[in-house]
Amino acid sequence: MKLRIFITAFAAFLSLMLLQGDALAEVPNFPVLVPLTGFLSLEGTSQRNGAVMALDEDKSVAYGVFDTATSPEVAVNAMERALRDRIHTGVIIGPILGTQMLAMLPLAEEYQVPLVTISGTAKLTEMGNPWIFRFFPGDAVTKVAHARYAVEELGRRRPAILYQTTAYGQSGRGHLETTFRSLGAVPVYQEGLDVSVRDVTAALAKAMAAKPDVLVLHLHSGPTALLVRQARAQGIDLPIVAGSAMHQPTTAALLEPSELRDVCAETGSSPISGGSPEMERFTADYREKFGSDPDAFALAQYDATRMLLVARHTGPTGGAPLRDWLASHEFRGLAMTYKSDGKGNMAHDAVIVCYDGSTRTPHIAMRYKGVDLAR
Amino acid sequence: MTARNPVRAWLGRDINVLLLAGAIGLAAWPFFAGDAYSLRLLTVAGIYALAAIGYQFVFGHAGALSLAQGAFFGFGAYVAGILSVRMGAGFEVTFPAAIAASTVLAALVALPVLRLQSHYFALATLGIGQVVLLVAVNWESVTGGANGIPNVPALSLLGATVGRGWPMLLLVWSLVAIGALIARRLTGGLTGAALRLMREQPMAAEAAGIDIRGVRFAAFLLSALYGGAAGALQVHTVRVVSPEVLEFPVMVMLLAIAVIGGRTSVAGAILGAVLLVHLPEWFRPLERYYLMAYGLALLAMIVAAPWGLIGLLRHVRQRWLPEPEPPPPVAGPMPVGRPPARLEITGLTRRFGGIRAVDGIDLVVTPGESVGIVGANGSGKTTLLNMIAGAEKPDSGRIGWAQADIAGLPPYRIARAGIARTFQTLKLVDGTTALDNVAAASWHEFGGPGRDAARAAAMALLQKLDLAETAWKPCGALPPGLRRRVEIARALIGGPALLLLDEPAAGLTAAERDSLAGTLAALNNDGTTVVVVEHDLAFLEKFVARIVCLDQGRIIADGAPADVRADPGVVAAWLGQPLDEGGGHG
Repeated sequence: MKLRIFITAFAAFLSLMLLQGDALAEVPNFPVLVPLTGFLSLEGTSQRNGAVMALDEDKSVAYGVFDTATSPEVAVNAMERALRDRIHTGVIIGPILGTQMLAMLPLAEEYQVPLVTISGTAKLTEMGNPWIFRFFPGDAVTKVAHARYAVEELGRRRPAILYQTTAYGQSGRGHLETTFRSLGAVPVYQEGLDVSVRDVTAALAKAMAAKPDVLVLHLHSGPTALLVRQARAQGIDLPIVAGSAMHQPTTAALLEPSELRDVCAETGSSPISGGSPEMERFTADYREKFGSDPDAFALAQYDATRMLLVARHTGPTGGAPLRDWLASHEFRGLAMTYKSDGKGNMAHDAVIVCYDGSTRTPHIAMRYKGVDLAR
Repeated sequence: MTARNPVRAWLGRDINVLLLAGAIGLAAWPFFAGDAYSLRLLTVAGIYALAAIGYQFVFGHAGALSLAQGAFFGFGAYVAGILSVRMGAGFEVTFPAAIAASTVLAALVALPVLRLQSHYFALATLGIGQVVLLVAVNWESVTGGANGIPNVPALSLLGATVGRGWPMLLLVWSLVAIGALIARRLTGGLTGAALRLMREQPMAAEAAGIDIRGVRFAAFLLSALYGGAAGALQVHTVRVVSPEVLEFPVMVMLLAIAVIGGRTSVAGAILGAVLLVHLPEWFRPLERYYLMAYGLALLAMIVAAPWGLIGLLRHVRQRWLPEPEPPPPVAGPMPVGRPPARLEITGLTRRFGGIRAVDGIDLVVTPGESVGIVGANGSGKTTLLNMIAGAEKPDSGRIGWAQADIAGLPPYRIARAGIARTFQTLKLVDGTTALDNVAAASWHEFGGPGRDAARAAAMALLQKLDLAETAWKPCGALPPGLRRRVEIARALIGGPALLLLDEPAAGLTAAERDSLAGTLAALNNDGTTVVVVEHDLAFLEKFVARIVCLDQGRIIADGAPADVRADPGVVAAWLGQPLDEGGGHG
């Protein structure tokens, strides 16, 4: 009986799968390839929501959302799947995970399809690939703002850096160390943490033994919340300047407001901090549509997708024409004004947000404009 | 009557017709699907199939839960990626280099790791993967750190680029076909039966002369070899090598392929790989819920097909279209007997903590003798037998056999020296036929291709022991008496000069005991020396001329059965009261 039920169910499933196929729409297709599962699922969900919001508002293009999980192989599979409809798919909205984007770059060049991402991995735009466009400030922007705020605004000279042993973490650590040294604040301690580490008290103890005057974090969302909580539980009251993960409402939601006192974060923007009527409208619409607060990743993806839609309405919908259009046009988004620096870096501004200990909504403490362009 | 067409005969066997249809369907699928995505998925499936075929050597055939296959796969990918990007090496260099590097890595870690058993072995092999992963993440100057090494060029072979799509697909599946044929060759025939014996009854395998550690070592290296080969292909398919290729999900994928496809079937590895690479892609439109659907599908498959999908197909075939039992093979000549030798035990001692299980035993068994060893429970009978057979190492003493001291030698070497044994608890492979249970024990003599010769020899023994009718019956379906005799037949296939039996009459009916006693008497008359540990004196008296009685690890009586029975020390220590004529004890 068990066997018969299994065989029948399996046959039915196979039939459904064979009948299934991506609908060949007559309108342009903007596939959204983002990590919805795995350790970057929070960031990936923000990406998805930002893109979907822009696409749903416009309604002139078709789209499908595909989970890229956390492996390059799955991301490339998803890209090949999206590009089955080569006639209508002229651009790929790519994942935030750097190693996935690195795997997708050769394929983008081969297929001549622009890749739009909000990944911060520096290497992406350092390889001379003309098909990549990054709409989130990279490490060359955010890590400079990160270090400058700690040194210039907080007056700290003995930073301890705790970073993630992922591509994101190693790339950011390099930029942080270089910038701190250039500012005359040599890091007194550095340690890489695996994303699976759940107890960071040993790392904190070692860092504190080096007598730092500020904790500088460059971690993903969950590990950031863990570290802040365990630092405060140990009575460490040093200021913490964290990476962009700490600005995310989903990260802040994991902590009590009191634990967030003297915690700041670099990011490209902070939609929930307001700043303009357009930003507040975006935040309200986002909350209504998805039932959660938007973060900088959602807003950056929203802005990036809107720029693609502007291109679609003015002419190019894909391939080399779209690549050239993105490389040569300026777009005024909600977070900032985007313009390529010739390598595909479209975002050049960063902000520092800080929590005051009474609420989970941060305020913008500092804006850094055109950081990489100015150097 | 005309001979049956051999092609039709092959198609009618097992699930061959389904496998052929599956292979044709698999080959035809890209022609229908045809797009780059489908070709890519099949290419990736081929790569995982190759790694999984390799994994079957250690996990399936050797029965060791290694969790290092993902590490060998990723290590091969890194070696190929680094050579390709940093030195511009072509596939003619990267492929053998990846294979060699993974195999050398396996050889280096095998020495400490293969000493471990069960979950300790699994944990140690998992540790290998973690160490390799840490090196990949932290040795940034060589491995590119967490970013890995991007822009790995397309596969280039002798200067010609093998592009993605059809060329890569054909290359990968050609290598899968070669790998599959080699695996079939290495694990089919008599070797397959021997590996199953080793996996399910390791003590019996060693007693049959199989060097389990050697086989496990070879299987571990082969698995790494295949893993490295698959890794070299993977890096040119994904075009980036990063720490994700060394992470646990890759290992889980290979494990799932082996479990769901079938642990020991090459076709199972291929079917599992094709299915498990495609399954998440079919569910991908479910967005974040796809993992739930994927997990449920895997669970359903494991529940419905615990022996793997190939096992399920075989089960269905046997249930709905049972194969007729083939005629028994023609019996060959009886195995050639080893030259007779004298067993000379001196001062043999074995302690377990503070207990002396065997305490300075001196014993001589001359060629052609038939000796019974009796004594109360815990008197040291089985420990003595185990030390002679190599299953226990003595603390001191000498076991002389054919002018050599065999004390402390591993069981397989003692078996090859002409000493065979049976076990108190039967150690047969229940799912294997009586014929192949016996034939498998001659693997170290006939080798993999010698299955027909081994079966002929096994058939001769089955006939001699009145077991001809059971040849094609699975041992699990036989009554205890016949199972005992199958085990004796297995012990005899190496033509031993000395046969050790541990309580062979346990659990048998009176008729079965009589029959077994007759069999053992006949063997002894043919020149085989027989040493039997037994509780049943009446059973022993039917065929032994000498009985040795042990008490607390020492010999308290040694002589003709009637003398031992009457010995006051034996009565006091074991019998308790004189037995009636023909009565048993134990």
